Amino acid sequence: MTATTPSSPRTRRRPAAAAAEPRSPARVWWRAYRHHLRLVRNAAIAWITALTAISAGVVATFDDRYATEAERQALTAMEGIPAFEALVGRYVQVATVEGLTLSRWGMFGILVAVWAMLSAVKLLRGAEEVGHVEALRAGLLTPWGLLASVLAALGTVYVLFAVAIGATHSALGMDAATSWALGGAVALLAATFAAAGALASQVAGARRQAVGIVGAFLGLTLGVRLMAAATGTAEWLWWATPFGWIGYLHEVDEARGAVFGSFAVLVIALVVAALMLARRELHAGLVGDGAEIATRPRSVRSQGGLAARLTAASAATWGIVLAVVGLAFGLLARDFSEAVADMPTMVQFAAEIGWIGIDTPEGVVAFVFVLVTLLLAALAAALVVGMREEEATWRIEHLLVRPVGRLRWLTSRVGLAAVALALLAAMTGVVAWLGTVIVGTPISFTDGLRAGLNAVPLAWLFLGLGVAVLGLAPRLTAPLTYGIVVAAFLLDFVGGFVDLPEAIIDLSPFRQLAAVPAADVDLGAALAMLAVGLAGAVIGVLAFCRRDLKEA
Amino acid sequence: MTSPGAPVVRLVELTKRYGRLTALDRFTLDIHEGEIVGLLGPNGAGKTTTLRTLLGLLKPSGGSAEIFGLDAWQQPVEAHRHLAFIPGEFAVWPQLSGGQILDLLGTVAGGYDKGYRDELVERFNFDPSKRGRSYSKGNRQKIAVIAALMTRAPLLVMDEPSSGLDPLMTAEFQECLREARAEGQTIFLSSHILSEVEAVCDRVAVLREGVCVEQGTLAELRHLHANTVEATYTGDPPDLDGVPGVEDAYVADGVIRLHVSGSPDALLKALAQASITGIQMREPSLEELFHAFYDDSADAA
Ligand SMILES: Nc1ncnc2c1ncn2[C@@H]1O[C@H](COP(=O)(O)OP(=O)(O)O)[C@@H](O)[C@H]1O
Ligand SMILES: [Mg+2]
Repeated sequence: MTATTPSSPRTRRRPAAAAAEPRSPARVWWRAYRHHLRLVRNAAIAWITALTAISAGVVATFDDRYATEAERQALTAMEGIPAFEALVGRYVQVATVEGLTLSRWGMFGILVAVWAMLSAVKLLRGAEEVGHVEALRAGLLTPWGLLASVLAALGTVYVLFAVAIGATHSALGMDAATSWALGGAVALLAATFAAAGALASQVAGARRQAVGIVGAFLGLTLGVRLMAAATGTAEWLWWATPFGWIGYLHEVDEARGAVFGSFAVLVIALVVAALMLARRELHAGLVGDGAEIATRPRSVRSQGGLAARLTAASAATWGIVLAVVGLAFGLLARDFSEAVADMPTMVQFAAEIGWIGIDTPEGVVAFVFVLVTLLLAALAAALVVGMREEEATWRIEHLLVRPVGRLRWLTSRVGLAAVALALLAAMTGVVAWLGTVIVGTPISFTDGLRAGLNAVPLAWLFLGLGVAVLGLAPRLTAPLTYGIVVAAFLLDFVGGFVDLPEAIIDLSPFRQLAAVPAADVDLGAALAMLAVGLAGAVIGVLAFCRRDLKEA
Repeated sequence: MTSPGAPVVRLVELTKRYGRLTALDRFTLDIHEGEIVGLLGPNGAGKTTTLRTLLGLLKPSGGSAEIFGLDAWQQPVEAHRHLAFIPGEFAVWPQLSGGQILDLLGTVAGGYDKGYRDELVERFNFDPSKRGRSYSKGNRQKIAVIAALMTRAPLLVMDEPSSGLDPLMTAEFQECLREARAEGQTIFLSSHILSEVEAVCDRVAVLREGVCVEQGTLAELRHLHANTVEATYTGDPPDLDGVPGVEDAYVADGVIRLHVSGSPDALLKALAQASITGIQMREPSLEELFHAFYDDSADAA
């Protein structure tokens, strides 16, 4: 018989750990804030780095690229063309480094908005769906406090974003006031869409609904900008959308006060509305909580059926975006080509870098489909990340402990992803064709289809590379897979500006895209992409079948 | 195909390492048809690792695991035709309803008893019409339990199956296990609660830090069943030296703290010598038991 002292450290450890649980509302709130910050951290680092780098690239290379007066004149020639401004936003004073950089954010701003709204919805609605919030709220957190902690975490990220832009741009020699104004406005644009996402999350019952609502808001604000550009006269229309405000940061406009004031009013209004609607009940939404479903729901009766349903769910949202983008490009192809036709030097310059015939609708469709290709590559990455999510959440276990093999599980998911990518690529081409028909300068149906299908080998390439990452480094699936897409795109997009050797830029699959339908499909490049993609997929599947499953 | 006469589950020197950590160290165990075997161990002992390796989700670092004579890593699909699994935590597809998930898992498993499914839904008071994301942890666990039981698989593997179930549902679940035993199903379940294992198991393997420290029938592991006694007294302390079944006694300053295994009769008689002002008896946690029994042997070794 041994006698132990009552204060043995072993017996004391438990109560001490329990006491460490924060019990004051402020500490619970602080913990929630840090939790949310952690959740958005990796994506934030990637987005901020990428966007700041692209924009800084414009600043850093301006003097080299536009060294002569003639080159600056060519830039100025693009100012005030309605069809062009409809795509890229207000385009003024572009013969200066400040003006050109600010004007570029008409496009980059769309990326900022998409990132901000998705991250807000993800934190607020997504967290509920996976039950994180229940854990949080079991403590002393109110729905109001939870929302505030999410907004504070996102706000922290955007402040850092503003600092990153302001510091890099002014360090690279851009006017300091303009640099910091740009940083601040971009942060406010992000805050606007994050707040809109938060509001949508309070209104909607489910994540998909929330994304739909805030996506409609994005579409509306972009639509107003499009109208403002297209009418060319009604300046108040530019002021009716946050994407217009970004365009009024130019020094000549002398409107920075109004820009920041407008942003501040809108952000505060959205935040207040969201806070007022922050509800006591989990899962409840103003438009139905979506917890109850139809009395006779469509049943899912096989592993393949489930895979099809999950793939279709991801593809549907992206399909809508692609359809809108494809249609918009089709509708604008005529105006754009006609405007460019008046600038022979530009047509010639574009042809030299591979974009032949951009004074024809076919050439314009080929040119703008680079963006469609980027979207499809990003969708390929999203589909792979979706596969990884099944593993990370351990839902995959339900299937694999039953008579479903890993080989079958992964090949069916990858096969369906490949089919979805091909279908969406074809659909986007057809919708672009439809757009050109509507405005009365049709390209041929086959040309539209070819423009879409031209993106397929590239999308499949990224799908295959993503599967390789999933098999070999599962925990890095999201950052690496998206990272490869972004890196490849930037290599093509920025590589030329910063004088990288041709041989390296050529490594980017985006560089290998032929200007279809203005040119023929580059069969050699297409086959090479297919081969690399297939190799990646095979390696990934084999590795996946031989490794441990890994939780998040 | 399954080889007749082979044990339902056979672990031979099964080892699993995560990097430098050996989570499971040469674990050997046979489970025969109709047995209910418990895998007992505190958190982090390696129970989940054992079961995930048995199910082919993790690749063994050494040794082997077989189900009906089929290798767990090489032939998972064939092996899984004969078993059902209840995980400790069940993640749902947020967009599918409980009913849809049950239907899916039953069909993927190769068919299920619809009548029994309905009966289980009733008995566990489960509402299958909601979307997955709106289920609480307890309700998610019910999906796991119903999905596994409704297939009437010859082997049931469970990882802390009653975690998340309230006491009423836990009682219902144990009733289901007794029915399964009556039907001749073999059951392999893990738990960190001794009383839970006692309630249903014929045989127990005790895991501690990845090592199987004991294996045997419940009677053979009787010594594990101790109670913690805490009492206060005034006046002279009772003399507890040599009282049968008493371990780890601490007596001083009006406080008595000890473990007693087997019958408490002798202890009560010994305590009666002193003037006892309060007494409390409870089942110790597994961690406390392990300190009491295995640390001594570890110190001695
Ligand atoms: N994927 C993993 N990677 C590294 N260590 C792990 C992993 N899974 C479990 N462990 C460790 O292995 C040990 C056993 O864990 P586990 O099997 O989950 O125990 P139990 O289920 O008995 O609580 C623990 O120390 C745990 O931290
Ligand atoms: Mg466990």
